[in-house]
Amino acid sequence: MAGGGGGLELPERQRRGKKHSKRKKKKRVGFRIDMTPMVDIVFLLLTFFMYTTTMVTPQVMEISVPKEVEENVEVNQANLFTLYVRGDGKLFFSMGSDEPQPIAFGQLRSKAVELNMLRKNKLITAFKPSPDAPYGAIVQVLDILNQAEAEIIRQLQAEGIKRERKFAFVKISPEEVEKLKGL
Amino acid sequence: MPKIKKKRLGFVIDMTPMVDVTFLLLTFFMFTAKFKTEAEAEQKFVIKRPYASADTSKLPDKDIAIIKVGIDTLTGDTSYYYTIVNEVQRRQVYDNLNFTTEQRKPQVKVGLDLLDQLIMQTRITGPRTRFAIDGDRRIRYKWIEDAIDVLRKNNATAFNFVTEKRQ
Repeated sequence: MAGGGGGLELPERQRRGKKHSKRKKKKRVGFRIDMTPMVDIVFLLLTFFMYTTTMVTPQVMEISVPKEVEENVEVNQANLFTLYVRGDGKLFFSMGSDEPQPIAFGQLRSKAVELNMLRKNKLITAFKPSPDAPYGAIVQVLDILNQAEAEIIRQLQAEGIKRERKFAFVKISPEEVEKLKGL
Repeated sequence: MPKIKKKRLGFVIDMTPMVDVTFLLLTFFMFTAKFKTEAEAEQKFVIKRPYASADTSKLPDKDIAIIKVGIDTLTGDTSYYYTIVNEVQRRQVYDNLNFTTEQRKPQVKVGLDLLDQLIMQTRITGPRTRFAIDGDRRIRYKWIEDAIDVLRKNNATAFNFVTEKRQ
């Protein structure tokens, strides 16, 4: 630890000290600690904590399903908007009792908004994922529908209508699974 | 006239500002660090959560029971894992089901039958406990469907899907 400001001031200060007392007193002028080992450790800890912290906290998507009921609820077929997810993650939709048609994930949002605005609160969305569809695709569809929901609420509010969401998870029948495979 | 060259004998850098900043960062990261829970520390799978758009609702850290559907990193098998976050409640549930000492882990690997019993006991011991399904995005929907059916059977009709924010 050679040099440094403190060292250079040394002669002047000693002279000043002599004026006041006859005794030769060695005055300590500052001191230095070698910080290198400390800095090493601190950096080590810092990198450790930086690597181990996960900045992404999981978020949740709220889902509610109806209670188990024995009797089936009669639904007007014309108001039924059914969404299917095939085993390979492809998305299909159908209106009423029409044949399922393929639809891209990117178009689902505008389609959901369009259909809901056409039938207002009467439209019932039924979601029928195939049992072998990837879970990631299911959540993606739910996410898109949630986004569409915000848009629908906004548009209906402009017309003074209160939104009542009608959405349900529906079990897919084996026949429908087969039908989707052929599409 | 030859110039007298001053020989430099090493040099000193004042490390103080750097150390200040480093300590500040260190304390920041130390305080924000969230350590793995007991259950997560011993699990042999990493859940790749499904992506969803940004949402403000975060996973609550108490009064929650999590059904994890994970793919084992070694064997590649999918299975259900069940965790009750509240330790007191967890002990109560395990007592009610007469769990052996080896079974009393913070996170238990379960089949659908045991999952059903565990959820029922969770509902009994803590009616306000919320449920979350933490599934891997690569698994088949069947796994989630079955878990939902078990929840429905136990009258837990409102639950959460754990997702990750799409970057």
